[in-house]
Amino acid sequence: MSDPRLALNFCGLAFASPLVLLSGCVGFGEEYTRVQGFSNRDCGAVCLKGTTGTARLGNRPHRVYETSQGMLNAIGLQNPGVDYVIQQILPTLDFSETRFIANVSGSTLEEYHEVTRKFDDSPIDAIEINISCPNVREGGVAFGNDPAMSARVVAACRNATDKPLITKLSPNQTDIADNARRCLEAGSDAFAVINTLMGMAIDIESRRPHIGNNQGGLSGPAIKPIALLKCHQVYQVTKNHQIPIIGQGGICTAEDALEFLLAGASAIGIGTALFYDPLVLPGINQGILDYCERHHIDHFSQLIGQLQHY
Amino acid sequence: MPQPTQRDTLVVEQARILAHDAFDGAQYILRVQAPLQAARARPGQFVHLRVAPQLPLRRPLSIMRTSARAGWLEFLYKAVGEGTRLLARRPVGDTLDMLGPVGKPFQIRQPRPVLIGGGVGMPPMIFLAESMRRGPQQPLVILGSEVPFPFQARPSQIIIPGIPSAVIGAMPLLEDWGIASRLASLQAYPGCFQGYVTQLVQHWLDALTPEQRQEVGLYACGPEPMLQAVVRLAADYQLPVQVSLEEYMACATGGCAGCAVPVHHAAGVSMQRVCVDGPVFDGYTIYPEMACNTDSISSEYS
Repeated sequence: MSDPRLALNFCGLAFASPLVLLSGCVGFGEEYTRVQGFSNRDCGAVCLKGTTGTARLGNRPHRVYETSQGMLNAIGLQNPGVDYVIQQILPTLDFSETRFIANVSGSTLEEYHEVTRKFDDSPIDAIEINISCPNVREGGVAFGNDPAMSARVVAACRNATDKPLITKLSPNQTDIADNARRCLEAGSDAFAVINTLMGMAIDIESRRPHIGNNQGGLSGPAIKPIALLKCHQVYQVTKNHQIPIIGQGGICTAEDALEFLLAGASAIGIGTALFYDPLVLPGINQGILDYCERHHIDHFSQLIGQLQHY
Repeated sequence: MPQPTQRDTLVVEQARILAHDAFDGAQYILRVQAPLQAARARPGQFVHLRVAPQLPLRRPLSIMRTSARAGWLEFLYKAVGEGTRLLARRPVGDTLDMLGPVGKPFQIRQPRPVLIGGGVGMPPMIFLAESMRRGPQQPLVILGSEVPFPFQARPSQIIIPGIPSAVIGAMPLLEDWGIASRLASLQAYPGCFQGYVTQLVQHWLDALTPEQRQEVGLYACGPEPMLQAVVRLAADYQLPVQVSLEEYMACATGGCAGCAVPVHHAAGVSMQRVCVDGPVFDGYTIYPEMACNTDSISSEYS
């Protein structure tokens, strides 16, 4: 997909489309290219799997479970560690196809800083700070639900890189707008809104949770209305600062994507929808173009934040 | 990490249902038209399909038979959860959105492969047996089920040394292909071995000479207690063993790591994805505790 009406300048990066493939859904960038007809060229950027200072095994099985119009996951940041990602994986990626964004996580401020510093010295295009992973005991959402702590993580990463920094915000907190404000002041260049919502499913026969981690993060269409509102709340904070938002949470269709654009998102995260349909991207791109045509709009970005309140 | 050669190895097809037959024990045999996947599929691989619009997450289903020439694939499944119950309602003529063929297939390395399938673990064993139909190997297929088999057992014309003489029930399809098979169940089904599949395999192994036993490899798919018992049997007789696993799965492309299981190597444990790193694994790396335990095969699984 290469249509000038979908091109986006995202923090100085050239995205061919507003669609962004979400961290944790597409491995380290190449996995979905196994599917004939899928192309990384159909999205503006790919967020790689959450990466920590050293390798992590992640959580015990079961790690995923389908719930009504959604799914729970608790992968637990399984990854081979930042050094392996930079030395073994990044050289295999085709940076001519799309932009690649690292997703950084850690248990301490020092780990966030160190992983970000290492990615700063790599070909990666941008860095997403994951302060909202609900599936690890330390770090993750424990940082992301405390605005002061979130800002300290952002500041630690900011000190380690000049590359665009995207902060992925947690919906599992009282005031996401306040958190966004603090992270913005600490140097975040962009936001990803939202990460998964904590949830649970129980096997009534065995009386055990379906997920090995007992609880997991809920994604998919079930969370879309919540994600849309959170996205709009964060937009109230960012709109006067030229800070873009990657709106995400249950987006499956062009209509879903258009709702998020109107609510204030500049880019559109696609995650669980890929599991439903690995070839979903071209249809969403085309649907956004069709809408623009129908409404006599020259460029999709003219829709951003155009929600009319009652 | 897929290398560039792994690009485009999976295809999405709108697979039309050609036949969909119900059997006792909520078992179903499903045949769909999907020529690209029928041409590519290898034994041990599976497809990932959308069973119904209201359950958008796909379900993995292992492949039982294919016809590359006619362009169809066949599956055997049991309606056990919401997904398979919805699938069971899909009539002939409907289409299923189907991704595949997924996974690493079985690798036959021994001249005397024993194929052990339990319940809905039977399909990949039938596919694997068919692949050896005109090959140099001498496969033996042992199938187990605690509900009536989804076929009418036929008295076998193929004599298998070591197998109790009353155990004559065979799968007709395998019999037609000239492949030796026997059936096992804890239920008293006529012509079937009353016991576990591993006990029946043990009868056969004990009748072999030490030289013959060195040519044996075990290949298994079925419920976890059965796979554990198969690995223990393999360890007791020092045989290579490959097992096919199932796990809750989201993407089936390697993207989400939702289906990862612990795999044990000399260097330690790694988490590997059942979808693209498996579903076939070296049995000793999945159940190392079975290899360490030298007790005789227990029959505690059910």
